[in-house]
Amino acid sequence: MIELCDVSLVYPNGVQALSHVDLRVGRGDFAFLVGTSGSGKSTLLKLLYRELSPTEGKVFIAGQDITTLPQNAVPFLRRRLGVVFQDFKLLPQKTVWENLAFVLRVTSVPRREMRKRISEALDLVGLMHRCDSFPAELSGGEQQRAAIARALVNNPPILVADEPTGNLDPDTSWGIMQILTRINARGTTILVATHDNQVVDRLMRRVIALDCGKIVRDENRGTYSSTPESESMCKSEITES
Amino acid sequence: MKLRNLEYLIQEAFIGIWRNGIMAVAAVSTVALSLAILGVFLLLVLGSHRFVERQLAGFEVAAFLPREASQEDAEKVRDTIAKLPLTKNVELLSRDKEWAEFKRKMNTKIDLGGVTDNPLPYALHIESKDPRKTAALAQQIREIPGVKRVADAREDYRVVRAVADLVKLLGFAASVVLCLTTVFIISNAIRLTLFARRHEIRIMQLVGATNWFIRIPLVLEGIILGALGAVIAVGLVAVSLEYVAGLVVRMLPPTLRDVSSGVSHTQFIALLVLGGAAIGALGSFISIRRFLKV
Ligand SMILES: Nc1ncnc2c1ncn2[C@@H]1O[C@H](COP(=O)(O)OP(=O)(O)O)[C@@H](O)[C@H]1O
Ligand SMILES: [Mg+2]
Repeated sequence: MIELCDVSLVYPNGVQALSHVDLRVGRGDFAFLVGTSGSGKSTLLKLLYRELSPTEGKVFIAGQDITTLPQNAVPFLRRRLGVVFQDFKLLPQKTVWENLAFVLRVTSVPRREMRKRISEALDLVGLMHRCDSFPAELSGGEQQRAAIARALVNNPPILVADEPTGNLDPDTSWGIMQILTRINARGTTILVATHDNQVVDRLMRRVIALDCGKIVRDENRGTYSSTPESESMCKSEITES
Repeated sequence: MKLRNLEYLIQEAFIGIWRNGIMAVAAVSTVALSLAILGVFLLLVLGSHRFVERQLAGFEVAAFLPREASQEDAEKVRDTIAKLPLTKNVELLSRDKEWAEFKRKMNTKIDLGGVTDNPLPYALHIESKDPRKTAALAQQIREIPGVKRVADAREDYRVVRAVADLVKLLGFAASVVLCLTTVFIISNAIRLTLFARRHEIRIMQLVGATNWFIRIPLVLEGIILGALGAVIAVGLVAVSLEYVAGLVVRMLPPTLRDVSSGVSHTQFIALLVLGGAAIGALGSFISIRRFLKV
């Protein structure tokens, strides 16, 4: 479903965020992408929805090489890939319902269908009762659920989430993770970037560990860290400190 | 683009205008002012063009036959002239009609009592195919046997032409400058809309909106601003023509008074509004291209 072949990415400022990454996530899989901050998790996810293109290597989504995708085909790639952003990216002047409707309108979904899909997505994350609230009126966990519902509203076969529990307390984080596993149980392929060791250790799912832009570990039922000593630091972080 | 989206896209355009109200007012008034000036220039250019054309139409070549020439001689000369390649039209004037007209005009000023016999010679009015070659045509007619005198007005023609050309040039230069200014102002107004809605646009891009879906409301916004400005411009032009041009025309000598452009009101309004809309669309496109650069 998701495949990266020898992918490297160098930012214009010369930072090498990813180097020679090979990765395969199969249909219906659930995988964590872990690593310290600055290890390249967000960068890797951005490659999947063509926010970025690799400097080297190829990225495949559902068998399609998206590195050569013409720019006018990118919107259609994004409709097949739900993304939960680190900062939610909910529109503050629209209610939860309107935020979801916005996505469907943008992707030209018929009005009759809209109501059905929004209700489904909100039910799945348990936010139906808050559908008329504005993002500012919601708690962090509720905002995150709204963001997940929005990513789901197009019924994408793949869902990627960047630090979905980044700013949440452990209980709320666990709730979010349960929603994600529920979505995965319906057949959606899920890739979650996180540095939340508690949820990763508790869930015992596939763990792909990034360090300085390289995959250093890939275990089918893994924990956040293999052994504490193996944790290294990126060169850039060493020079910073 | 499906029809059900249209309502939404148009609504978005109006929301955009509403949200940055002050900039919209600034844009509309600038467009109105530029288009009004543009419109006045347009009327001036068209007016002077038509004026020149009309003057030129009067600048046909006139050929006069000797007094003793007969109707038959006159017709022969007319046929010869008609065959010249530069001739567009040749008319043999009726001596009697001319004389009657002359008498009617002059009666009040000169006593023509003594002249009873028609003293006018046969005369021909010749229209040239190319106003620029009137002189050459006159020369050719002069060489036809039986023609006594030929008159043409190329000197006058040259002056009128030069003035008209100058007006056209100035009008064109001013139009270009004004159009560019207007495009710039509108593109700035749209840029503010883009800035105000950058998060929304960003999210639209991320959830899979096509570029057209993002562009259409913005282009519509530009078109609405441009067209609205144009409507106000039409009003401004109407008012200024009514009060200002009226004054100016009264100061001109009578022969120069008829400087109307020959453009109908509907044509003028349609032209200005379409122009405003086009300028608005162009302005939008420029900022969208810069902003989206996808
Ligand atoms: N837009 C950017 N321009 C330049 N460097 C960037 C940019 N985004 C991220 N980086 C750098 O790339 C590396 C990886 O960043 P990122 O993918 O955000 O890591 P993570 O999400 O794991 O914290 C970091 O060193 C970061 O400083
Ligand atoms: Mg990150």
